[in-house]
Amino acid sequence: MDSQTNTVSSITRVNPFQAAQALGKLLSETPEYKAFIGAQKAVNSDPTSYALSVQLRGHQHAIQCGRDLYGEHATEAARLELEMGDLEVVKEYHRARQAVSVLIQAVDKIVSREAGVDFAINARHSGCGCGG
Amino acid sequence: MPLTEEIKDAARQLGQALHQDEYIRIYLDALQATQTDPEASVLEKEMYEVYEGLIARQQASEDLSQDDTRAFYELRGQVAHHPLISHRNDMLNTIRPYLHQVAEEISFTLGVDYPALTKPE
Repeated sequence: MDSQTNTVSSITRVNPFQAAQALGKLLSETPEYKAFIGAQKAVNSDPTSYALSVQLRGHQHAIQCGRDLYGEHATEAARLELEMGDLEVVKEYHRARQAVSVLIQAVDKIVSREAGVDFAINARHSGCGCGG
Repeated sequence: MPLTEEIKDAARQLGQALHQDEYIRIYLDALQATQTDPEASVLEKEMYEVYEGLIARQQASEDLSQDDTRAFYELRGQVAHHPLISHRNDMLNTIRPYLHQVAEEISFTLGVDYPALTKPE
């Protein structure tokens, strides 16, 4: 009887989309995720961090558009990144991001092992699978 | 903090759902075909061994000759053109958009990009 039950349950098809939703919901209830979202909000509402990130984006945009012939935008972007990294609110964001990343990597390892295919790497939008 | 049993179960459920999915099976079947084909598996294993050997020599500050790299590129070409390996790679590319859609369900619930969070900053 037990073996029959096991056979039936092993061939029961679960919808991957529903399973993904259920997993997402559980992850959203973890302390790591809540801390990460809180840290993200704190960074976004911090006036110093906001001002620096606006300036940083301006320089990054200039670099991407090929308007950095003498490297002044790259220099200034690097300086701003260092200045942002020194803000306590940003440090806390990186700590929280690292913690949630460790959690999600552990989850992804289980998903990938069971699926037989590396899930997150191959689910990335670029789809190159090189991890880049 | 270690994963709760509930999260582990949910992760297993998702993995198993993908494993049983007919669309994912086309890739898993192609993967199995390469793994069980002696020629394909030996060829691929050899390519990775040669690659790792070259990297190790490069890291030991050794200058690699053109012959060294040519041998690797030839091997890589053979691997890429092997019908079973090439089919497996094509099937992986075919299922990627589907995997992306499934991951989007998690991302949507979290409000952040799930695959991106698995990458270190």
